[in-house]
Amino acid sequence: MTKPLEGIRVLDLTQWLQGPVCAQYLADFGAEVIHVERPVTGDGARGVRSIKALPVGDWNQYFLVINRNKKSLAINLKETAGQELFYKLVEKSDVFLSNFQKENLEAWGLSYEKLREINPRIVYATNTGYGHAVDVNRPSYDINVQALTGIMTRQGEPGQPPIYLGMGSGDTYGGIMSALGIMLALYQRRRTGVGQFVDASLYGAQLFMGAPTLQPFLASRNELYSTQQSRKQAGNPLWNRYEAKDRWVFLCEENTDENWSKLCRSLGRADLSDEPRFATAEKRAENNAALIAVLDGILKERSAGEWLEHWRSAGIVAGLIQNLEEVSKDPQAWQNDYFAKIHCDEVNREVDVRGLPVTLSKTPGSVETLGPELGQDTEMILFDTLGIDWDRIGELKEQGIIP
Amino acid sequence: MSKALEGVVVVDLSSEFFASLAGALLGDFGATVIRVEDLAQSRKVDHDRDGMHPPERWNSLDELANRNKQSLAVNLSEPAGHGIMNKLLSQADVFLTDLPFASLDGNGWDYESLCKLREDIVYARGSGFGPQGPDRDLPAYDELAAARTGVMPTLVQPGQPPVYTGAGQMHTAVMLAFGIVMALHHRDETGEGQIVDASLFGGNMYSQSLDMQAYLAMRDERFLEPVSRLDAGNPMSGPMYPSADGRWVTLAMPDTDKYWPSFCEIMGLDIDDPRFDSHEKRCGEHRLEMMQVLEERFSKQSSSHWRRELSEKRLPADVIEKYDYPASDQIAALNRYILSLDHPSHGAIQSLGFPIYMSESPARLRNTAPCVGQHSAEILQERLGYTDAQIEALEASGTII
Repeated sequence: MTKPLEGIRVLDLTQWLQGPVCAQYLADFGAEVIHVERPVTGDGARGVRSIKALPVGDWNQYFLVINRNKKSLAINLKETAGQELFYKLVEKSDVFLSNFQKENLEAWGLSYEKLREINPRIVYATNTGYGHAVDVNRPSYDINVQALTGIMTRQGEPGQPPIYLGMGSGDTYGGIMSALGIMLALYQRRRTGVGQFVDASLYGAQLFMGAPTLQPFLASRNELYSTQQSRKQAGNPLWNRYEAKDRWVFLCEENTDENWSKLCRSLGRADLSDEPRFATAEKRAENNAALIAVLDGILKERSAGEWLEHWRSAGIVAGLIQNLEEVSKDPQAWQNDYFAKIHCDEVNREVDVRGLPVTLSKTPGSVETLGPELGQDTEMILFDTLGIDWDRIGELKEQGIIP
Repeated sequence: MSKALEGVVVVDLSSEFFASLAGALLGDFGATVIRVEDLAQSRKVDHDRDGMHPPERWNSLDELANRNKQSLAVNLSEPAGHGIMNKLLSQADVFLTDLPFASLDGNGWDYESLCKLREDIVYARGSGFGPQGPDRDLPAYDELAAARTGVMPTLVQPGQPPVYTGAGQMHTAVMLAFGIVMALHHRDETGEGQIVDASLFGGNMYSQSLDMQAYLAMRDERFLEPVSRLDAGNPMSGPMYPSADGRWVTLAMPDTDKYWPSFCEIMGLDIDDPRFDSHEKRCGEHRLEMMQVLEERFSKQSSSHWRRELSEKRLPADVIEKYDYPASDQIAALNRYILSLDHPSHGAIQSLGFPIYMSESPARLRNTAPCVGQHSAEILQERLGYTDAQIEALEASGTII
């Protein structure tokens, strides 16, 4: 089957997560993505040895999944000859993507001005820490940028530490933002014939990620949005997390009288719908703490499975709060290709990987290969794409430009 | 200034925040997005169904999700209204919706039927749980999708209730817009339209994809239960420590060797302390001890002290802020991540801006979210060729507003 980005060549001069995952989205949908790395050590993500104080295991899923469907070119960009070679690739590419710092890119002769001069059609995309408009001389990792946005401080129960939204949560979001920006620029280029400079930053993406609460905070300056709120004070007790006898569930019903009496019946407590404190939507909101305490007491009596069974037949929307093991077996996820299976050469067996972010009916993405070995495609790219002959390739090796 | 999506017409029949937001992202970059509001549906966009978004002076989430759109208000259950919708769809490049399958089929807006109106249409659906599978008809609620996806129980400290962050729906909105532009690109190359689906379930998976992938590969119990913040894998990357004033500091120095000398200097640690003098010791046998030491040191000084010291040494670490920080941050303003506007109805306001920068076709706020039916007459006249008399008759019969 064809893929939507067939024929698009991406020079993916990135490392770690935000840049590489952006290029992964493009590679999943058929772009020819060349992960450009320094010889010998390559992308730092190749060196990941442990995650959460656990050894990473017999295959480095961190690097191999983020860089799936890609080629690898190892090249020394500190040397002029390496830069000249890279310029030849720029001439024949559609997208240049980098999350290296601006000072690195300038030192390697890879500024926007320079690459645009070489190829006016190039879409020059950067993933910065704090945006294109200001030079911020500060290192940017996912968590220290997330810290600034304010999103961490408002998570969890009052008095608890702030909550980080998960490993790489901001990088991944910056990555999809960047992929959207690149697609917009490519789409426009079809009409105008010229590329442009596109940036998506960790800070900008993570501010946007906070929209459901940051936007109303900006509008109202109401501390409700910027501080921790207890589940025991949920404004709509029918839309809340509850602990059944064995585990947690999420109940999702709008606060209407009809839903309330439906819920009371399903709990075997039809009497509650006559309780004056909870008789109207307003009262349920006003007496929310009391109502949540009542529901906590009732729900603790039976297992989550039993309640969900009752609720399903009553037409009440609710779901189990699953853990990663459960979702990894969830047929709904597998049937939508949110997971995939792929052979891993490193361990010579099939492994499970995260699947595709979006489903296209006629030109779906796919996982064809896991991440490349460092520099594995260098010679072929030089030979096939740039038409450089074997003698010259030999010279470049001797000069240490390529491994 | 040019527009990236110049000439692209999107017919937007959505009501969930994430799906409408995908339409707004297209509008920000120049697409003509016609938001269709069905007068037959009593269902209104309700951002407060969780009871945690009380009424504001202006509906800021609605503003974000519907800026740069036009509004057509029409009764879709009347034949005349249904006919207007179909005429509009026959001119659309993109149909964007989050309606349930049953409702789409019932109205003749399933993909096959729409192809008869517009053969190469890009049919974009924001869904709860994807186009396939036993639960594809579950409602598109982010909470339901987040609950199912696996990290709600583990982001918290041990013993705490599972936490809902809302980040999954934000992923889905951008993934949907990304899928749409990819499909438009393919259509322009080949003439072929198709269905694009991005779900809240998938978006939540991607929003936690590193944890998910690590579990898939490592299958360790440690990914299934909350882990104490003082039991992190690397005392210098990821954990957070309270300062003397109660504000927290977080560190992001995965390569501890690189930062060790400067870090010791500001923390008052002995660089040669035999317990901590290698990365292996810091992240291995002495990591818990080191976190206890750092916890004690950080608690001795104020957060402003730590910010100053960390920033002087250029260490990747920072104070964990509240939303008032970005609201007054120049970096957020200069990048237009946060806009200060003079709103036509609400005066001086702040709003989230544009997370993607494009040098030649930057996002612009062409108009704030429209009132219901603000552009009905204009769309009927200019796009669909209705006469003034016809439009008046439709207004009189209540088919349009």
